[in-house]
Amino acid sequence: MHCHPVLFQMNKVNMKFVIKNIAKSSGRLGQLRIKEDVELSTPLLMQTTKGGSIPYLSAEVFEMLLKQQQQQQFLLQLTLCSMDQMAESLGQWSRSLCDYVGYPGQSTLLLLRDPCEATPTGGNDRDVVPMFTRRGKEALTAKRYMEMVAQFRPDVYQGMCDADTHPESTKKRVQKSVDRTEKFMEECYAEQAGKQESFSQCTMLAPLVGGYSTYARTQSIQHARKQPSESYGGYIFEGFHTNGLAATNLKSEQLLPIVEHCMQQLETDKPRFMPGAFTPPLTLELIRLGADVFDTSYAYLAAANYKALTFNYDKDAVPAVQAVFLDVTDDELKEQFTPLLSNCSCLACRQHTRAYLHHLYKTHELLGPILLMMHNLHHYLGFFEVIRTQLAQDELPQLLALLTSQGSYSIQPNTKVIAKAAMGKGFSSNAA
Amino acid sequence: IPPLTYKVIAECSVSKARAGLMTLRHSEVRTPVFMPVGTQGTLKGVLPDQLIELDCQILLGNTYHLGLRPGIETLQHAGGLHNFMGWPRAILTDSGGFQMVSLLELAEINEHGVNFRSPFDNSECMLTPEHSMQIQNAIGADIMMQLDDVVKTTTTGPRVEEAMERTIRWVDRCIKAHARNDDQSLFPIVQGGLEIPLRERCVTALMEREVRGFAVGGLSGGESKHDFWRMVDVSTNHLPRDKPRYLMGVGFAADLVVCVALGIDMFDCVFPTRTARFGCALVNKGQLNLKHQKYKHDMQPIDAACGCSTCKRYTRSYLHHIATNESVSCSLLSVHNVAYQLGLMSSMRDAVQRDEFPQFVREFMAEHFDQEPIPTWIREALAAVCIELPADATIETKVEISAPTSPPKDLKLSS
Ligand SMILES: [Zn+2]
Ligand SMILES: [Zn+2]
Repeated sequence: MHCHPVLFQMNKVNMKFVIKNIAKSSGRLGQLRIKEDVELSTPLLMQTTKGGSIPYLSAEVFEMLLKQQQQQQFLLQLTLCSMDQMAESLGQWSRSLCDYVGYPGQSTLLLLRDPCEATPTGGNDRDVVPMFTRRGKEALTAKRYMEMVAQFRPDVYQGMCDADTHPESTKKRVQKSVDRTEKFMEECYAEQAGKQESFSQCTMLAPLVGGYSTYARTQSIQHARKQPSESYGGYIFEGFHTNGLAATNLKSEQLLPIVEHCMQQLETDKPRFMPGAFTPPLTLELIRLGADVFDTSYAYLAAANYKALTFNYDKDAVPAVQAVFLDVTDDELKEQFTPLLSNCSCLACRQHTRAYLHHLYKTHELLGPILLMMHNLHHYLGFFEVIRTQLAQDELPQLLALLTSQGSYSIQPNTKVIAKAAMGKGFSSNAA
Repeated sequence: IPPLTYKVIAECSVSKARAGLMTLRHSEVRTPVFMPVGTQGTLKGVLPDQLIELDCQILLGNTYHLGLRPGIETLQHAGGLHNFMGWPRAILTDSGGFQMVSLLELAEINEHGVNFRSPFDNSECMLTPEHSMQIQNAIGADIMMQLDDVVKTTTTGPRVEEAMERTIRWVDRCIKAHARNDDQSLFPIVQGGLEIPLRERCVTALMEREVRGFAVGGLSGGESKHDFWRMVDVSTNHLPRDKPRYLMGVGFAADLVVCVALGIDMFDCVFPTRTARFGCALVNKGQLNLKHQKYKHDMQPIDAACGCSTCKRYTRSYLHHIATNESVSCSLLSVHNVAYQLGLMSSMRDAVQRDEFPQFVREFMAEHFDQEPIPTWIREALAAVCIELPADATIETKVEISAPTSPPKDLKLSS
């Protein structure tokens, strides 16, 4: 039942993590080397994707956006549920996964679920994890999952887990998620050991589940840590939410104690991944507790619901307290010929006005979400830049205080957005 | 300086094709030119900076749509459409009449203008030549169109002549109502259905007006290709050499090549961006329907010779998977398709300047129709301007229809 450690010694972990600084009151600064020539600073923001592309943005447009940023390297967070039908094609692709999705030279991480979309609960039959794709539910065995990972060849991928838990899950469901995850992971390791070649360039992340139960979380951590340390490159926290907007509505008093409980049991030299649309203040709290890697699903969900991010994270800005969002569906914007956010240097703010964004919303034009996504990503990347700077000066609490004074960060579905659902699927309702 | 100057730079020594330079307030435009259509103040999913990167010099906006949203007032307050949409280069607007007649069920034309029911509150409205000028003056495009009396291209009888005569009366009302003649250039529209004498009379009458360029309208709406090219031909035969000529609503590759040979300088068509939404990519041989299974594992770019940002990075295989599923595919294919159209025009300009245009046409037609016979109308149209195509083994007898509903063929499954 347990794999022989000797096999793992051949299975080298490519990813390297070095902690540069642990601030007294505010988390850790690190360097994450994904592969040769790709080194990223943590706390890190992964670029969330759909079907392998950053939502709404072509590679050309995303790189126009990056011109404004310090960081030219990034980690693409790909999701199997939105790319499953590409597996066969990728099996025939001789170059790397990042080339296939249009980002040569960058690094990739493969998740099973899409943090941007609510994952339906249920469907946890005996030996499978349900995967919700565009075409419906698919039952995924660990063997099939690992086969697909081998076809994708990402730089980093998560181990398979049952993450179907949230703050209200029953004790029984939580326990099941821990037990099933243990079993899935044994199968994953066995598959990996059987196909050394296929996985030699891929680093696995050990999933940690257990909902909001300290007991179950401890168990899950023990299951992960019983494997030799070199067999996995980091930890990925699952089962705090079921993705989509729900993650923006988590209560910090529920989430933080359980995260803190987990962090204390983890060795410090492995990075901790925390996928999902946590709000900016909650993200800061999670960083304080020792989380290292997040994603841009929050910026996406705001854009998809026609909200521009406008919260202020600049301690020298006047006024310091600003609105958290600007809702572009608001009719008041009709003749506001000012940028989404004054002083923002993103392309959307430099070249376009609130009035134009409002017009694009009214006409259901595709350029609307493109410009919003550009602004939101720019804003969020800037936010993480500031986080790293403030962390180095041990000033995260001040940043958190600034953020929390600005209002609520949870995102409600924008019911005014009628055409949004049609946008992803053929967007035929936009036909001119 | 006038808001539009046009200079012929080179002329084909065989056909009527010419290369020119049109200088507008917002941009220089090298002709022959294809104008992508940005109906509502945006080209589907493409940023202005990307269009500039593609060397797009002029866009088309639709007056009917812009008049509804954002509306005249907002456009005026924004300082015109250029400012409103953040597009620094040239814009051309249509009159709004055609869109109404084709989009609204109840649109009705009388001597005053186009009568229609508002799609929003069902109230009765009237678009007059004066009103069209007022909206287009607010939009502030470099080139604007007169309101014309639009009849179905397949209409025959006295109604066609009436429409032609009314179009001439309306151009005078438009010229009178045009409030920004120092900034914006108003083009009259050659009408006259499918009758050569009517077209000739119309051109003659319009040339008596003081205008800086001409449009040829009332085509590409379901008439036979046989009639289509003759109407273009007769119009360019009579239009002055020193002014630009715009053929409205034409944009399929083979039609562009034929009509450049017939002496047209400007084109527009929604097809390249519309077809992108359905996963279709334009290539010289026709169009690739990327949703087709045969592209699933095709690891080539759409066109290895294309320099667009889509072809530089993405394979047909990846595009196959995301086409119509992820909205970003719409942007990626729009960029390629616009690059294709602009590239085709630029090849034609170069060929004219090198005086190798007939050779270009022969090579293009051979590649475009590949193993298939070249349609008779194309042979006849090109023969009329002294470009002979090599003989075919088979003769095409099918009547081709000139309409936005007959896009270029999809590539054969075998190819
Ligand atoms: Zn911005
Ligand atoms: Zn291309």
